Amino acid sequence: MGYLLPLVLVAPLTAALCLPLGRTPWGARISVAGAALLLALALALAGRVLAGGPVLAARGWLHADALAALLAAITGAVGLASAWYARSYMAHEEQGHDAAGWAAGRFEALFHLLLGSLVLAAVANNLGLLWIAIEASTLSSALLVGYYRRPGAVEAGWKYLILCSVGITLALFATVLLYYSGVGHFAARSAGLQWTVLRDLAPQLEPRFVRLAFLFALVGYGTKAGLAPMHTWLPDAHSQAPTPVSALLSAALLAVALGALLRFHALAVRCLGPAFSENLLVAFGLLSMAVAVPFLLIQSDYKRLLAYSSVEHTGFVVLAVGLGSPLALLGGLFHLATHALGKTLAFLVGGSLKSAMGTARMDRWSGVMESSAPLGVLFAVAGVALAGLPPLALFLSEWMVLIGGLRAGKTAAVIAALAMLAMVFAALAFHWTRMALGKPRADFRDPLPRDSHRPLWLLAALLLVLGAWFPAPLHRLLLEAASAIRGDAP
Amino acid sequence: MSFPIGEWLPTSSAVNLLAGVFLLSALAAVIQRRVPGAILGYAWNSRALGAIAAVVAAATGERHVWIAAALVLVTKGFVIPRLLRRTAARGRARAEAQSFVSPTTAMLLCGALVVIGFNQTRALFGASHTILASCLPVSVAAALVGLFQMVSHRAALAQVVGLVLMENAIFLAAISLTYGMPLVVEMGVLLDLLVGVALLGLFVGRIEESFESADTSLLTSLKG
Repeated sequence: MGYLLPLVLVAPLTAALCLPLGRTPWGARISVAGAALLLALALALAGRVLAGGPVLAARGWLHADALAALLAAITGAVGLASAWYARSYMAHEEQGHDAAGWAAGRFEALFHLLLGSLVLAAVANNLGLLWIAIEASTLSSALLVGYYRRPGAVEAGWKYLILCSVGITLALFATVLLYYSGVGHFAARSAGLQWTVLRDLAPQLEPRFVRLAFLFALVGYGTKAGLAPMHTWLPDAHSQAPTPVSALLSAALLAVALGALLRFHALAVRCLGPAFSENLLVAFGLLSMAVAVPFLLIQSDYKRLLAYSSVEHTGFVVLAVGLGSPLALLGGLFHLATHALGKTLAFLVGGSLKSAMGTARMDRWSGVMESSAPLGVLFAVAGVALAGLPPLALFLSEWMVLIGGLRAGKTAAVIAALAMLAMVFAALAFHWTRMALGKPRADFRDPLPRDSHRPLWLLAALLLVLGAWFPAPLHRLLLEAASAIRGDAP
Repeated sequence: MSFPIGEWLPTSSAVNLLAGVFLLSALAAVIQRRVPGAILGYAWNSRALGAIAAVVAAATGERHVWIAAALVLVTKGFVIPRLLRRTAARGRARAEAQSFVSPTTAMLLCGALVVIGFNQTRALFGASHTILASCLPVSVAAALVGLFQMVSHRAALAQVVGLVLMENAIFLAAISLTYGMPLVVEMGVLLDLLVGVALLGLFVGRIEESFESADTSLLTSLKG
């Protein structure tokens, strides 16, 4: 018991409070406080899991092992940074719009509904509940993607909703198949969908159906996680959503959707042995990276650039899990966290730059360094992070994965990944040097208050610290999460 | 002399009959030239699904299946078709389904899909002996037909009909494989579906507002 139930409830309660209080100054404050409480509870849960092992609650419907705690903490951290930034950003964005389309408190309420569904998906033990939570995250975020109601946003929202709905329907079939694969082994019917029960029974499950279930889950939850070739909705949705939501979608939602896929992977590994699902993950991971590279090179819109970078990073994490050695798995999970921090920073600093320069088109951005020193530094940190350069944390996590892959003997995949990472680096270096340096624009004016930079500095500091120092509790949490997936002793 | 209907009509032939209605109504939805016709096909598809669930409930005597059957019948058989019909009526554009292929071609292609669905199911699951043996191949075939409906139409609402047809087929698969999932899960899935259809309807309205048409092939402003 303990922290699990409050963790699931805090976001919906915040949403319920924000809706009536939206017109008062309290709405935004409660939103930030709710997100902070969520992060605190997630960290407390992680501590609890480290101290006393996995936690089951609500008659087995909820379950927190190290992987769930990691995903909840990622969601909490991204949620807090975005909510904090949204306080000044959305106030600026909503200035001058008529009240009808911009009902007060609606943004905060939807934001926290999305946050709540993500946390629920992270700690759901029942695979049916997991499905419901992931679908709920699609529904709540579709309204946020279409929040600006301009034609582009409507188009993006429609594609997002229809493609992810098809994906999620396939994931439902995967869930049904898994349930069927174990019929006859369960005492109580509702136990048959519980991940912990299925995990313990995995060797006895019918392999044919587990294989089929994994395939459907790979396509179904893979759509939601932005794996190529099912990623086509992602750049549209992530670029058309309001910036704080883009951060949440790219950093937290992709991680949680990937978490759902990893649950199926964990069952497949225990039932079929590692080869089947790992080879598929390596293939899809490499394909996602390869698909993203050309779009990164020719991109002209900053938010779309970040969205394709998310496809690339998701692909990299999937590749890491597929490589399968403990070190690669550890690095992959670490990369999930570091990418979340880096991508949130990149989106949020991009929000400030977009308001300052009046456009998201990168060819109109130049001289950021000279125009504003704090934004310039943050922008540079975000770029260095996403390109995977030292001394930031993403360098460390990518390195761990590559070394882990070599140790697993999958040299060809590692070389391919390395080549793709080099091209990504080239693309980002090209865009970033042009935008950060160069002639500053005369009309540069950052309309957001100075204190909107605070969450960004925190993110940048965290990236720097994690790049230099790997704290022991985090190491243990990642090790245990890796063993929850792969099943080896930690 | 009493003549109990339960013995006179074996459960299996009732299920077979309903499975036939399920598949035929899905096929009927695909070949409609206008969206309201497709919605009607979906409504009968859902009602057949609810009836199959009711037969399963009667055969197994489990209360949670009865509740699930009633919920399916109400939400999918009546509420969702109504929601869809209202969206269709609100639209300014004429309710053409805007298929890429003619009804005849669609029928032929869907016939091929049904054959593939039946063959593949037999190969994967073998011949089973439960009372629902006929439903699993039907559900796989209907899922393919729903997918075909989605990819072969340009009108936004026609694509939504394809999506909910697919959803129905997965529900039928769940019933025929495991006699339905736990009740709480089924209720959550239905709630998500209901909200999802409402949202899709909302977006169809916004597409018509922004693009003066519900033709999804016009949605090409975001590229690269």
